[in-house]
Amino acid sequence: MRSTVYTEWTKLRTVPSSAWLLIGTVVSTVALGSLITASVNTDFCPSPVECFEDTPKLSLTGVYLGQLTVVVLAVLAMTNEYGTRMIQTTLSLAPRRYRVLSAKAIVVTAVVLVAATVGVLGSLLVGRLILPRNGFTPLHGYPPLSLGDGPTLRAAAGTVLYFGLIALLSLGVGAIVRDTAGAITTVVSLLYVLPIVAQFVPDPDVRKFLLEYAPMSAGLTIQVTVGVDLLPMRPWAGIGVLACWASAAMIAGFALFRYRDA
Amino acid sequence: MSDRFGHLVRAEWTKFRSVRRWVLGLLIAIGLTVVLSTLFASVGGTDANSAPAVADRFHFVHQPMTGDGSVVARVSGQEPSHDWAKAGVMIKQSTASGSPYAAILVTPRNGVRFQADFRTDIGGSGRTAPLWLKLTRSGTTITGYESADGTTWTEVGSVSLSLPQTVEAGMFVASPEIVEIQRQFGGTSIGGRPTLGRATFDNASVSGGEPAKWQHEDIGASMFTSDETGATESGGTFTVSGSGEIIRLQQGDDDLIFNSFTGVVFGLMAVIVVAVLFITSEFKRGMIRTTFAASPRRGRVLVAKALVIGLVTFVAGLAATAGAFLLSQPQFRANGYRPPAYPYVHLFDGVVMRAVVGGALFLALLAVLSLGIGAILRRSAGAIALLIAIFIVPQILFGGLPLNVALWVGRVTPVAGLAIMQTTKRWDTAIDPWPGLGVLAGYAALAMGVAIWQVRRRDA
Amino acid sequence: MEATIEVNGLRKRYGRTVAVDGLSFTVQPGQVTGFVGPNGAGKSTTMRVILGLDAPDEGTALVGGQPYRMLRVPLCHVGALLDAGAIHPGRRARDHLLWMAHSNGIATARINEVIEMVGLTSAARRRAGGYSLGMRQRLGIAGALLGDPPVLMFDEPVNGLDPEGIRWIRGLLRSLAAEGRAVLVSSHLMSELQDTADHLVVIGRGRLIADTTVAALVAAASGDRVVLRTAHRTEAMTALASAGATVAATDREAVTVTGLPAERIAAVLGERGLSFSELAAHRATLEEAYMELTRDAVEFNSPTVRAEASDE
Repeated sequence: MRSTVYTEWTKLRTVPSSAWLLIGTVVSTVALGSLITASVNTDFCPSPVECFEDTPKLSLTGVYLGQLTVVVLAVLAMTNEYGTRMIQTTLSLAPRRYRVLSAKAIVVTAVVLVAATVGVLGSLLVGRLILPRNGFTPLHGYPPLSLGDGPTLRAAAGTVLYFGLIALLSLGVGAIVRDTAGAITTVVSLLYVLPIVAQFVPDPDVRKFLLEYAPMSAGLTIQVTVGVDLLPMRPWAGIGVLACWASAAMIAGFALFRYRDA
Repeated sequence: MSDRFGHLVRAEWTKFRSVRRWVLGLLIAIGLTVVLSTLFASVGGTDANSAPAVADRFHFVHQPMTGDGSVVARVSGQEPSHDWAKAGVMIKQSTASGSPYAAILVTPRNGVRFQADFRTDIGGSGRTAPLWLKLTRSGTTITGYESADGTTWTEVGSVSLSLPQTVEAGMFVASPEIVEIQRQFGGTSIGGRPTLGRATFDNASVSGGEPAKWQHEDIGASMFTSDETGATESGGTFTVSGSGEIIRLQQGDDDLIFNSFTGVVFGLMAVIVVAVLFITSEFKRGMIRTTFAASPRRGRVLVAKALVIGLVTFVAGLAATAGAFLLSQPQFRANGYRPPAYPYVHLFDGVVMRAVVGGALFLALLAVLSLGIGAILRRSAGAIALLIAIFIVPQILFGGLPLNVALWVGRVTPVAGLAIMQTTKRWDTAIDPWPGLGVLAGYAALAMGVAIWQVRRRDA
Repeated sequence: MEATIEVNGLRKRYGRTVAVDGLSFTVQPGQVTGFVGPNGAGKSTTMRVILGLDAPDEGTALVGGQPYRMLRVPLCHVGALLDAGAIHPGRRARDHLLWMAHSNGIATARINEVIEMVGLTSAARRRAGGYSLGMRQRLGIAGALLGDPPVLMFDEPVNGLDPEGIRWIRGLLRSLAAEGRAVLVSSHLMSELQDTADHLVVIGRGRLIADTTVAALVAAASGDRVVLRTAHRTEAMTALASAGATVAATDREAVTVTGLPAERIAAVLGERGLSFSELAAHRATLEEAYMELTRDAVEFNSPTVRAEASDE
């Protein structure tokens, strides 16, 4: 197994686009987070104390953009094999197919978690620096962003975990669909389009179910630090839902990978 | 030389139509657009037709007036509670909210105005209080005057109103709400903060009336308690406090036509995928070499590709936008989008045609932009992800960004092209329709320009 | 247009690797020119430069006296098969040829002609994704023939063809050359080129090693060696050695004699009364000639297998 993991690691790191995608994840997460935090200020509130802004969640908004490069990276890790027909070489080297997919999962998730950590820390740092200048000061009830604060730590760690689960979800879909454009479109639709379409389902119960259990909406509850009681599900439950999505994709991916012709 | 180019176009068309997936992809784009637009229309709705047509709320100090006559007062001071706070004299059919009226008034920042029956609005001078105001009724004609000294009167305007013999006439004060728009990720909320207006009057008289017999009350429901609104009199000077607005209400500002095309946001994803694949498939397996060996004038090949994908997408786009419009209209009408608030619109109305054809142009330009970016990046994954980031992510974030940032994004990025389908201008409209499409066209031209420059220099 | 390819002082670098270094040769009409060299010698690069796909750092490559990118209807001047795999799998074979025909204004009737020429008539309406390697090769060849060009370039055309297909290609190449076209074929299968090519351009490490006819090359490699088969090997070897020849035993009964013409060897053996069953001038195969020529130029060496490994 170790050699399979090492093979997958070598494959990933020797493709130049991997590095660019990981850098892109960090950059887009921090950039969007900075844009958001720089543009929010207490002028919009009846009074600064009455703002009720969720500052940790705000700084971590970059995830909306950063996850795109993660999706591409994870999908490519799988679909590239089919595009170049390298899959035959890969499988002849490691005929136990579950090992190949597991090794890919380990390698991709590991690099994504690293990039996500950098991105999340960067976003929080920017938030910590910028927010007080926009009126979110301790005086108004907003202590500076700090990982020492329980909910903020949960939001940050949860966001890193979120990125990892998105990577697994994308890898699974890549194994199912096997085609780059199709897999990326599928995952993007699942993340971005599903919540929007769900809003227009006539049946209120089905609508509620879809809106709450869609992968992105459920997963990002982990970021909420204000008004947690108002959420439809507890933050860790939300991450759990996303984990279910990712597992379903990976399990289906495993099964299809094993039983289909290469 | 031009027939050479025609050959290239013909070759690219053959390439496109001979790959089932790509043709299917465009059909999916049409399907997605039409189905989702109809879906959205079936659950969207409005109650604009049952909402009140006018707002008629203020504090009125009045006396009955019979037959022809006039009401005069000097507004000695007005608090600037709002740019459009109103203080003046009015002749009103009765104290019922919504009943016909004519008024001459002064505002803190918008001068003197003669207003009547929720329709007429004539501007007078730019003066502020202190100021004399007068209304005279003569038969069915009511005329408003202003004066600086109470002697020399300038006519501001007049209106013809059929009112009963006996009407109520007197002084009034109103002050509208300050509208607050709160934007958060997840939604925009529009709220209003009421304001309390106050003004002082003296030398008030109604012809044929008795000085002591003034009555006063709030007309319409006030946001403030009766302790706050009201009128007091001391030595001929009246201090009147009132809140509200006397105005015809905007009856729903939904852009009905634009809302018929909500499915386009999803159809455009399929367009992006097809257009990107149309070019990136050439770079796989070295097919680009066959292409450039057959046609060494590489710039023209790219232009021919852009022409083919643009035209094909335009035709598909027309089917999509026209279909979306036609199928969504019955849904909208069933959900309350009817006259008088929302007049019926038809496919061949000028405005609708501009949106339908413009929407197809939008999709065509999007296809060309996607082709250009695909040619530059040469890999489908990166190009698709980039284009999705540009077009889909802003939709998610728009609601939460501060207005000035959101407007800037809507003006400067390719998303501006969506403006071609807008037909009304609202507070959150970023850019006019044709300039918006022009922005997208600019990006498409830029991408193609870079792609052509690059492809001629690089090894195949 | 003259049916020639002229390459002059060509130089092409990819990053730090020099793929082609000062290469010059001409391909003449009416004959099949083999383009050979070890892997990485620069054959494919040269062909891409000739087709205007890659730009050379120095030097020129002209087709019929013109640079390829200046040709108005290139497919009618040069037909090329570079990579059989370069076909969209979702496209039908016929449509692949159709767009090529459209791009150069070639009549669509020609498509059926070339399909028949390469024997793909029954498979033309199938999608290329389901084609075997041999079928894709044939389709690529059809594409090269589409414009009926006077100049043809084939990069490894026999890849994936079965023996019957190989024979067919040989016949096709020769007949094309006989029609007065210039035909450039690159190949690794020396045995193939031996019977197909008239002229050879041998390159190694981006440089020209030989530009000559097949006959001359083989003759040069053959030298003046003679193969002798005799039952009296030891005596024959002694006799010939004393007559001034260099002898080497090659197997149980055969001896390779260098330095004496065959008649003289016969005479020497006859003087001693030594009978022999075979006395033949050793004709090197093209493969041997090529291996000798490119020994130093091979980029990717496998450990040499000593040819004289005797199993006595």
